[in-house]
Amino acid sequence: MRPRRNSRTPKQPLQARHKSQTDLSAWRKGRRTDSEKSLQHHQSADDQKYDSQEGSLEQAFSYLGKVQGRVSLKKNSVLQKHLDAVESTALKQGLPPEGFEILLKAALSGRFADTVNTRLLKSLIPASVIPQDSVVSAVSLLCVGKCSGNIQVLFLKWLIAMFDFIDRKEHINALYGFFFFFLQDEKLCPYVCHVLYLLTRKENVKPFRIRQLLDLQAKMGMQSHLQALLSLYKLFCPEQVTITLPGKMKTYFKNSEGPWKAAITAVRQRNQGLSPLSQAAFLGTSQPQSRKRKWNAQLVIPASSSYTNHLEEVRGKNRLCLYGTKVSFPVEQLQTFPQLLQNIHRLEFPSQMGSVLTNPLLLHYMNCVKDESIYLRLYYWMGQMLQEECTWCVVDNPNEEEFKSFLESIYKAECFLQEGFSACEEFLYKTLPLWDGVCCRSEVLRLVSWIPPSNFSDIKSYLYDPLAQLFFTSSVYFKCSVLESLRQLLQNWLNCTVIQVDSDFSSSNTTLSGLVNVVAELVHFVGWISTAGLRLENNSTLLMYFILDFYGTVCDMYLKYNLPLLIMPPAGVFYPALLSMDSANLNQLCHIMYRYRTNLVAAKENELSKKSILQFKFSNQTYQEYNQYITAMVGCLWTSSAFQKDIHPQGLCMDDKLLCKTGVKELKNSFNIVYHPAMMGYAVQFLKEICPDDTTFNFKLIKGKKWDWYLEYLYSQGLKGLKVFIESSISRVSQASRSKAGNVET
Amino acid sequence: MAVLRPLDKLPTLNSGVLLLVGSDEALQQKLAEAILQEKKDFNISIHLAASLPLPSERDHLRPRIDLVVFMIDIKSKYSLKNVEASLAHVDANFFLGKVCFLVTGVGRVNACSIETNAICQLGKAYCSPVLFCELELEGIRVATAQRLLRMLQICAGHIPGVSALSFVSLMRNSDDD
Repeated sequence: MRPRRNSRTPKQPLQARHKSQTDLSAWRKGRRTDSEKSLQHHQSADDQKYDSQEGSLEQAFSYLGKVQGRVSLKKNSVLQKHLDAVESTALKQGLPPEGFEILLKAALSGRFADTVNTRLLKSLIPASVIPQDSVVSAVSLLCVGKCSGNIQVLFLKWLIAMFDFIDRKEHINALYGFFFFFLQDEKLCPYVCHVLYLLTRKENVKPFRIRQLLDLQAKMGMQSHLQALLSLYKLFCPEQVTITLPGKMKTYFKNSEGPWKAAITAVRQRNQGLSPLSQAAFLGTSQPQSRKRKWNAQLVIPASSSYTNHLEEVRGKNRLCLYGTKVSFPVEQLQTFPQLLQNIHRLEFPSQMGSVLTNPLLLHYMNCVKDESIYLRLYYWMGQMLQEECTWCVVDNPNEEEFKSFLESIYKAECFLQEGFSACEEFLYKTLPLWDGVCCRSEVLRLVSWIPPSNFSDIKSYLYDPLAQLFFTSSVYFKCSVLESLRQLLQNWLNCTVIQVDSDFSSSNTTLSGLVNVVAELVHFVGWISTAGLRLENNSTLLMYFILDFYGTVCDMYLKYNLPLLIMPPAGVFYPALLSMDSANLNQLCHIMYRYRTNLVAAKENELSKKSILQFKFSNQTYQEYNQYITAMVGCLWTSSAFQKDIHPQGLCMDDKLLCKTGVKELKNSFNIVYHPAMMGYAVQFLKEICPDDTTFNFKLIKGKKWDWYLEYLYSQGLKGLKVFIESSISRVSQASRSKAGNVET
Repeated sequence: MAVLRPLDKLPTLNSGVLLLVGSDEALQQKLAEAILQEKKDFNISIHLAASLPLPSERDHLRPRIDLVVFMIDIKSKYSLKNVEASLAHVDANFFLGKVCFLVTGVGRVNACSIETNAICQLGKAYCSPVLFCELELEGIRVATAQRLLRMLQICAGHIPGVSALSFVSLMRNSDDD
């Protein structure tokens, strides 16, 4: 009998390599004769290669299944050969379902040395699915305890990594108690916890198990894996688990996919190029093109998803009854909305939660069943995927396109459900500080727009701070996209307040005031970055457009969303917009100020008539600020008195002496809607139209009746914002200054 | 040992000078090349150093340095120690906006040997922004080069109305105070 662990002599690996090489040449020869035999012309060389591989694989299976007694690798070239055959096939195309039982038995029976067992387990990569029974018999071997601790750990890791590939889980779930027993083993505990986390259903949560877990936690201290399991139990039975658990954990489990991850990916990619037949055997039912990698693969509902298999139903409907009271409808057959309505009481979610993301019917279902555990499963899966595949956090995954489309489908699902996923929020909080702002830009920023309104300090340190750092150091285009996504974020939050107010106003009063605060902070944040951004980008017109777009939402919060909140743009945004060289921006500013006016007037009226549903008063400061801005605007656009009349502390009031030094003649009427830099182009065009012969461009001609014509001309050019502004604000606010404006008008 | 000072020399017209300090030479070189490949409207010169102080013999030939970037490899504790030792040779005036910490290697989170928190503390203590990146990936390298270039532009005074000090106050995290 050989010692369990061979002490490796330096010669040994050399020898082994040599062996495998001779084997390889023999195998190559075999392939050639094989290919000579097969005369089927349509088969490609690749297929033939796989044929011959299958032959050697079958031999390997029969050998590994039959071999008795302890066999050592060193002296046994036959074992070596078969092991190589298994490994090479597994890595190239994955193993067929029937091989798993044999190989798992071989690896866990303790007949071979640990090196062999490890190699066997590492090569257990499925080509399509893993039959449930093979796992069940493997677990029974695990309970016998013939294999070493390391192999036990490796098996559990394998089980976790391959969990989604197991065709059905009913019988494995029946072994719940056995797995639970393994928690006592200190070394296995973290992995067993993970397996249990994946297996647990509501009926598995029993008081005695909860007690045992709590005892274990008392003994071992706060371990993240135990906490994970406990939190799941708490979710299922909140009345039985009374301890408080930390709310958000970053990661519950260490990633145990390690040795198989690359292989699974490689096998998937290879299998994709194969004949349609082998593709059908491969996970999933449709859309083979989106199945390149794991996350996209999981977005398709696999045929083996729920425990009621498609094939089984075809074979005999009565068999379904064997599963007891629960007769569920296989989700992969769910095609239409009426089908969903008919079967809504007996739907079971697929084991690969990711497939829910791209299926609108399941999203409908998810939306109405309010089952926390579904969200938990989805979030767990999504969090893991996002963390592992994030292209800027994981060097080894350079496949940006795939990650992009994954983010895209998350975003679409969020839009569909009209709410953000907390897994996604956590991912953003964790990775935004590490983000370069380029990789998957639009996808990431779109996801930002679905971050739910939570408490301010979290959002501030996890979202605003990293976003601001990126904003200030990135290009103007990035700045624009950030503003766009923050506008969307504001919009989503406002929609959310409307829903809250509608549904249940009295009890959500406190949260409403919380929401108002969060929204106010967002608006202040955008005001701050906009001011700084404009300065950094030299008052870029493009940037200004996006900033004003944001304020286009802000100015209507009171009337449109019933939110007792109005915030004026900071002077750093208002004045650059007012003095902008671009008429579109000026026009938009006018429109925004008009909307502010409408909202403020409505608020004042409600306040006076005490009709206001919300016991709220805008502070005088808001009115004051609005009036200051309006004075400046009227001064700039109408009365040419901006430099004298502006009373805003950061405004453009200037000393008369200073103004005289500019040398501009007729100061009193040289800065209005005609002379404004954004408007001068229109004035020139207008003059050309009314007096085509005059080439001196005498702007002073625009007065009296022509002034009115000029206004009409401007309105006809699409400056609707200017129109509503002038019609609402000029005649009213500047009644007093109107007489002064009279000398311009008449 | 000479202390690096920001204002003891006259600036050169229409140019910006960047000093990269870090123990990984190959990575430094790559980053410098990426920066030089960017389109820019001013002259850039990049000086590379493994650590500070800079040798004093050629000091009179060296131009005024506008921005010092300390590169810290998140996978190596030595790189952090090296940077901490080098910081002693930088004049306090540099920390009014002309220093930045660049943390590299965030793409291998599992291989981390320095806590991000420790680096953030360092940034806080020296009032300087901390940027995270993975220079092994080309896309991120280019993006990082562009970000550094923007900062250099500001530190060299090429953006009217924005000084290095005002910029660094924008970059400060809100919970720092």
